[in-house]
Amino acid sequence: MNAPFAGKDGETAFARLCDELQPDLFRFAFWLARDRQVAEDVVQESLLRAWRSRESLAEIGTVKPWLLTIVRREHARLYERKRFETVPVDDLVGSESPELAVAEEQQTLDLRRAILELEDDYREPLALQVLMGLTTEEIASQLGLTQAAVLTRLFRARQKLRKRLVAGANEEGN
Amino acid sequence: MDCLEFRRLAGADPQHPDAAVLEHAAGCPRCAGYLRQTLELDRHILAALSVPVPLVAGRAKSAAASVSGLDRRRWYALAASIVAGVLVGSLLWVGGPRNSLAQDVLAHMDHEPEAFVVTTTPADDAVLGRVLERGGIRLRPEVGTVSYANSCRFRGRTVPHLVVQTDGGPVTVMVLRNEPLDAPVRFAEDRFTGTIVPAGPGSIAVIGGSDAELEQITERVLAAVDWRQD
Repeated sequence: MNAPFAGKDGETAFARLCDELQPDLFRFAFWLARDRQVAEDVVQESLLRAWRSRESLAEIGTVKPWLLTIVRREHARLYERKRFETVPVDDLVGSESPELAVAEEQQTLDLRRAILELEDDYREPLALQVLMGLTTEEIASQLGLTQAAVLTRLFRARQKLRKRLVAGANEEGN
Repeated sequence: MDCLEFRRLAGADPQHPDAAVLEHAAGCPRCAGYLRQTLELDRHILAALSVPVPLVAGRAKSAAASVSGLDRRRWYALAASIVAGVLVGSLLWVGGPRNSLAQDVLAHMDHEPEAFVVTTTPADDAVLGRVLERGGIRLRPEVGTVSYANSCRFRGRTVPHLVVQTDGGPVTVMVLRNEPLDAPVRFAEDRFTGTIVPAGPGSIAVIGGSDAELEQITERVLAAVDWRQD
């Protein structure tokens, strides 16, 4: 069996890939959990699990979807263990939420807020597509959906965000 | 394909429009505008999704490194060859002595979906002017319609990234002042074919669709670019 991540060279290669992917894995975990601390925990635990199982991977190209699967499962596992308190989006906005409080363009902040408010069914495929660069086919595989269902969700997600931006612009104009 | 179907597809996956979507956009200005707007929306969505990454990066790396006992210097020493190996394995190379430059150009294309958009609308003059100014070049109008212009980060430098509309479809031009070449490089992969030719103090990359004929447009670009002195 081909095991590109076996041995010392494999360790090095795997560590390098994790290093490259880690920022986006954190971001993806954040959009899953909508909680910075949970995202950190999820990524930390996911990478440790991945590290222990790295030799089972047969192809370098499968690392990213494999890690995403682990992150999603780890998030679900954590969610099962600990029922998170529901936090209103308004509470995420402000000094306690660096994701929303850093100095960025107002439009980016508005959009970030709108994405936080999207239903999970729309937010997750959108993050997988735009942030993680997965194809609709790969997203369908990750989420256990048909490709048509993924396309519908992605279309609706963008429609919702588009409406929010237009509404925001109109409010500013009034 | 009608406009409704177009918008459903372009609104779901604007960055990977298939041939039917592009064909429709070429003949329907309103839908072409919708595609451009959706790509613009995606750029904002990506910015919004890219939340700041906290110290978790360091923490998790330490965790992995402590499990592996990896030394950080070893970690990076082998990184370049590993990444190069992955890329080479996924590409079909026609030839050329500096494949890594072509690889980087192709990798950059993945972040610039405007490369696929067929349009007759030229880029904003002021934007184009700024991009050319920052890139240290002038561009004669004979090059044709420049529909997109951006100053992109490439190999640690800011380079002009232009899309020129041709009869054969949109062609991407990257002006690489700091990438000198001894001889032209040609390359191809699933979606793109390209060439990088020596020009001025550096080189110019011209990239089109997988079946694009690049000879004429490359000559046109070479003739249209004036290099300003550093």
